[in-house]
Amino acid sequence: MTINFNNRDPVYVQVIRHLKEQIAKGFYEPGQEIPSRRELANQLKINPNTAQRAYKEMEEQGLIFTEGNMPSCITKDEAVLKNVREELIIEAVDLFLGSIKSIDVPLAEVLELVKKKHDAESGEAEESK
Amino acid sequence: MKNYLKLVNFEVNRFFKLYLILIGLTMLSQLIGAGIISQTYMKNAKQLMAENQLSMNQYVEQYGTFSFDRFTDSEWFLLPIFFCIAMLMIYVFFIWYRDWFGKNTFIYRLFMLPTERIAIYFAKLTTIMLLVLGLIALQILLILMEKQIVNKIIPIDLQSNFSIYASSTLNMWRWLYPTSFTEFILVYALGLLFVAVIFTAILIERSYGLKGIFYAIFYGLLSLGVFFAPILLVNVYTNYFYPLEIFLMVLVTSMIVLGSAIWIANHLLKYKIRV
Amino acid sequence: MIEVKNVNKKYGRKQVLKDISFTAEKGEITCLIGINGVGKTTIMKAIMALTPINSGEILMDGEKITKKSFEKITFIPDTITMLPQMKINEAFAFMADFYKSWNPQRAEELLQFFKLDPNERIANLSKGNTAKVNMLLGLSLDVDYLLMDEPFSGIDIFSREQIAEVFTSHLIEERGVIITTHEISDIEHLIDKAVLMDDGAVLREFSVEEVRENEGKSVVDVMREVYRA
Repeated sequence: MTINFNNRDPVYVQVIRHLKEQIAKGFYEPGQEIPSRRELANQLKINPNTAQRAYKEMEEQGLIFTEGNMPSCITKDEAVLKNVREELIIEAVDLFLGSIKSIDVPLAEVLELVKKKHDAESGEAEESK
Repeated sequence: MKNYLKLVNFEVNRFFKLYLILIGLTMLSQLIGAGIISQTYMKNAKQLMAENQLSMNQYVEQYGTFSFDRFTDSEWFLLPIFFCIAMLMIYVFFIWYRDWFGKNTFIYRLFMLPTERIAIYFAKLTTIMLLVLGLIALQILLILMEKQIVNKIIPIDLQSNFSIYASSTLNMWRWLYPTSFTEFILVYALGLLFVAVIFTAILIERSYGLKGIFYAIFYGLLSLGVFFAPILLVNVYTNYFYPLEIFLMVLVTSMIVLGSAIWIANHLLKYKIRV
Repeated sequence: MIEVKNVNKKYGRKQVLKDISFTAEKGEITCLIGINGVGKTTIMKAIMALTPINSGEILMDGEKITKKSFEKITFIPDTITMLPQMKINEAFAFMADFYKSWNPQRAEELLQFFKLDPNERIANLSKGNTAKVNMLLGLSLDVDYLLMDEPFSGIDIFSREQIAEVFTSHLIEERGVIITTHEISDIEHLIDKAVLMDDGAVLREFSVEEVRENEGKSVVDVMREVYRA
């Protein structure tokens, strides 16, 4: 597991985002254990303080929970998990809209293209399996 | 204190290989020399006796006896001693400079030990003294062995009595092997003083760089001046002081020189030294 | 906390440290950044009382550095500080002999992590392995503060990666670390705090996450601002 960090966003924000993506993808089940702060710092090659900060922030957001000395786990709260997924999708769509706005294309045309590309790519993915 | 002893052990070990070489060379040269010198003498003596049909007594009357001096004055005996002295003199400097200029600057490590830095100074000082005393002890042993070798080769009748103190040409024996315990302490205290002053001069140079060389020379001369002040005084006022007074004066100035050497070294090591 | 307060130092006529002040917290990695010759190494030496300063004050947890401090703070210079003729395990024995804070388990652990042979002579090690042994000797002391001079320079990429891994591990967790570098890009994500230096002076001291969060700038962005100004 590695992330290509950018240098301008706080690293802890990027770590949180990374975990959210994992959740949205279904890599983590609700209630599943996640690596310890130390392990995460080591895996991502980041400062342990930063990992600590990310965990603290995620706990505050209710994404993970820690009971006593137990390892941290993904929340079992379905609503939160659903939110994460939605949040990521909306973020991606916003980004997408932002970039097509600047080229000024009609929405229908774009959607058509999106569908075509997406089908082709998932087809390729199927074939390669 | 514990760290001081560990450092002494460490410093001795660092020199040990070279030390063994020095010991080996000295033994080799002196033992072989003792054999060669006596054998040459005997060959010569036998030849003379045969040619002139002399008895041993007649030979002794005409040509004299073999003196052990003949060996102790030879290169076989003296060269290794001078070589050892020269090596130790060089090592008095090298014992410090090697830590700064070695491939791996070990002085960082030494100065970051959780111990008073002056302990390093004392450890190096002790090491030099131990090395010197070791060589002297070796020399005493060697002389005994060499006497045996000579006795094996040259009949006692052909030899004159030998005492290292009576040795005319080797006045330095008095320095190396003092006759009384007091003399022993005095001679080696003087040596210690000398090395301590050099050590402090080295630390002055190490603390102040180029300027430090001048400071170090100035410091060395000043120490020398203080040390010799009483002797100068005695020469000016001849027959004015009692020997005990002279001795006390020398003692006091020596203490001043040694005390200031240690004090300056301690100060430099704590506050001024550079790596 | 290590506090460097208004430190000035002259070498002859040249002022090599100009009123330097900064702090390094325990549990954080503080990075002194600047090109070669701006005085980074000199500061580290000054902290360790390995070179005198003309004025100012350096404190560790509120106290001046004394012989006892060397059980709590250590310095890993950019060259190894053990005799070349020593074997690695002899170097360990030396450290164990003199430091109460020497941690043999950790030394063993690091030896395995770096895949080093304890019977190897220091003189025979490659450049990268020498750097690792040097680092190992410092890291195996249970000290609160570690100073490392250019831990990443002049070694091969794999050794660099291994050493970088140390920074993300329990080996330095909870400790205060000061490192110097002239090349920040590799380790931007590793550090908590940056101290930008030029020509013997501190130009700026900042928390890297704060600057990213509040100003959206990377360390390199800030450097561009500061050095081009």
